[in-house]
Amino acid sequence: MQKILSALVIHDIKNALALLEIDLEQLNHRKDTPVEGRRAYRRCIELKTRLVSFLTLYKHDQSGLQPAMVEVDLAEFIEDLVRNSQSAMMAESHHGHPIVVHADNERMKPGSATAGFGMLDENLVELALESALNNAVRYAHRRVDVWFEQEADEIVFRVLDDGAGVGEVDELMQRKIAEKSSSTGLGLALCKAVAGAHGSGSVRLESLPGGTLFSMRLRAVA
Amino acid sequence: MANAPLQCATFFGKLIENEYVHFNKLSALVIDDISAMRHAVRSQLQSLGMNKVSVASNATDALELIKSTAFDVIMCDYNLNSTSSGQHFLEYLRNENVLKATSVFVMLTAETEYSFVANAVEFIPDDYLFKPCSESKLRSRLERLIDRRAFLMPVLKALDARHYDVAVAECNKLLDIAPDDRRRMEVLRRKSDAQLALGDHFSVLETYAHAAAVRGDAPWVMMGLARTHYALGEFTQAAEMANMLVVKNKSYVAAYELLARIRLEANDDEGALELLHRSAVILPSAKRFRSVAQAAFLLGKLEEAKSNTEAAIQLSNGSMVEKPDDYLSLAQTHVDMGNHMTAIETLEKSARKHGDVGMFGVAKGAILAQAYFDSGDHDKARKLMERSVSLLANRTDSVAMTALGKAALKTGDVVLGMKLLTQAVQVSGQEERIIARHVKKSMIDTGHADKVEDVIDGGHKRILLLVDEATKLMRSAHFTEANQKINEALGIHEENLEALMTAAQLHLLWLKHEGMDARVVQRAKAYLSTLDKLVPNNQKVMNFYRFFNDIVSD
Repeated sequence: MQKILSALVIHDIKNALALLEIDLEQLNHRKDTPVEGRRAYRRCIELKTRLVSFLTLYKHDQSGLQPAMVEVDLAEFIEDLVRNSQSAMMAESHHGHPIVVHADNERMKPGSATAGFGMLDENLVELALESALNNAVRYAHRRVDVWFEQEADEIVFRVLDDGAGVGEVDELMQRKIAEKSSSTGLGLALCKAVAGAHGSGSVRLESLPGGTLFSMRLRAVA
Repeated sequence: MANAPLQCATFFGKLIENEYVHFNKLSALVIDDISAMRHAVRSQLQSLGMNKVSVASNATDALELIKSTAFDVIMCDYNLNSTSSGQHFLEYLRNENVLKATSVFVMLTAETEYSFVANAVEFIPDDYLFKPCSESKLRSRLERLIDRRAFLMPVLKALDARHYDVAVAECNKLLDIAPDDRRRMEVLRRKSDAQLALGDHFSVLETYAHAAAVRGDAPWVMMGLARTHYALGEFTQAAEMANMLVVKNKSYVAAYELLARIRLEANDDEGALELLHRSAVILPSAKRFRSVAQAAFLLGKLEEAKSNTEAAIQLSNGSMVEKPDDYLSLAQTHVDMGNHMTAIETLEKSARKHGDVGMFGVAKGAILAQAYFDSGDHDKARKLMERSVSLLANRTDSVAMTALGKAALKTGDVVLGMKLLTQAVQVSGQEERIIARHVKKSMIDTGHADKVEDVIDGGHKRILLLVDEATKLMRSAHFTEANQKINEALGIHEENLEALMTAAQLHLLWLKHEGMDARVVQRAKAYLSTLDKLVPNNQKVMNFYRFFNDIVSD
């Protein structure tokens, strides 16, 4: 009974929050919206994203995620992700200058047999990549590139930022992964859960000269 | 921070390339039972620039609006109300040919429902969106969809006008200019739809082969190939293809339903029932519960038939897919189970709701007669029988005649029973197979197993055999030989629908492949006009006419 009740309450809160987001979004269309209105909009988005991430992880811990696999045009998927990314949109408020988030068509490698289509749970993967993007724009200097590589049954999504101090970041990450409460830790745990739900998958964060590369590998298990 | 969505636009040059999508020229319909959600989506669409946004809070209102207005965009909530979902609504719109090909249909779902419907069904919307979604996401999805629609527009318009031959020609033009595989596949899909509507199995196979060369694993290509193999009588290949689909996606109900039909062809009724049951579990709908109930009933699994019919009634109650015939099935099942009182109650209850008119009244009286006979009230049974017979008069309806025939056999009027059941099979047309099964069961149940062959055949079996042979000859382009078989079939029963349909199709293909011949043209015309009289406004016949005009005008 308690379980049903809390599920109902959470569902209700999520919906109410989403409606509030739409109201704030509409309010923000007005040129004379006060700065508090814009801040409220941003906070509302952050709150909703965090709630959805927690819920997804909770589901993962309780019963495992059950992905709804649909066919996705991967190039379109990344273009849409980048274009609608709320983290990208709000990057300026962290840095004081905009971060260019770029869907890197040059680096995209569609599989030869699949013509760039893949089976995945769009919404789970979008949630995971959005959290990777959120992390990337925070550590980026000016620019973040996003692309995919596809090979047989494998799809790899990559997010590359041009941030500095990558070696330290790695260590910092390790610590943060342990505590899911931090947004980075929550994000990585979420990505791992999503990758795992797609068969056998993995998530990696590596330091490259002049940037940090996030990779999420999804592998369909036959 | 400046205006947020606009800032997004300036950040990513992407938005600018799509500026030719003029939202202010588009109309939309938002269907959602929750008023806050309805208005939220409407204000999002309005701030995209749409001026003409209508709203509906339920499927019935939405249907009226869709019938009277050609909307560019329809945004439908998946969770319409407790009995009918957005998916049911979409299936209904497509089945009834109400939804325009030029309308973009977007399903709004909550994530818990989404995992349930995505990919499980044949009738997929143009897109799914999680609700509520941000305006920028809504914008980019709609821009893509409208962009795609603009590219396909000449084809979509021809499909809406049911000018399938024009649609095929427009597809060929678009294939020459399609910029990439994505667009090419979209065109090929529409082309196969148009060719299927024309019943042109030769050409549709070529289209699927073309699509498979671009992307062989696309579910619609595999499903289309499986269906075409099935239509050509190549059941092994059809089953192979459908099984591959199921392996890739174990919730693809259309594949299960095709596999069930293949099992039925192989007389594996248990196997068919199992598959139908599985598809009803994956995606429950009144239609699927009915299929399970019917298969179970014919196997004598009355408990299962009863519970599935009850489920169909419960699910469709008060919705547009409600069918009074469900009460007939339920009552007949109760009669067969020996629950004559429950059968009477079921029909009395349905009587209040659906009245007593037409063929429903005839069948209802027949089943009530059976129930009263079992209760020992033979006098009442006789009166009900007489009333139903006089209501039927000289009209023909295979469902009503089957029920009445069974009642006659049960109450001891063997001559009338045999006559009605024989006629029921003869007039059953495309339902022949299933009506024959019901007739056979009724006869076995009433102790007349020895006469099954005579009644079901009535010349019909021979006709079907001949039609089948003619179809095979026709598909291997042996037109003269096919025509002999068809003439023989029509000699047995000159108004047999299947023989006439095959005759018409044969002559059209004959003209298409062998060129003009005055005698063939004459005969084709004669078959078409007979069909037009027997089944006015039949979609298939109308397609034949169009095909015919197309060939003759070339």
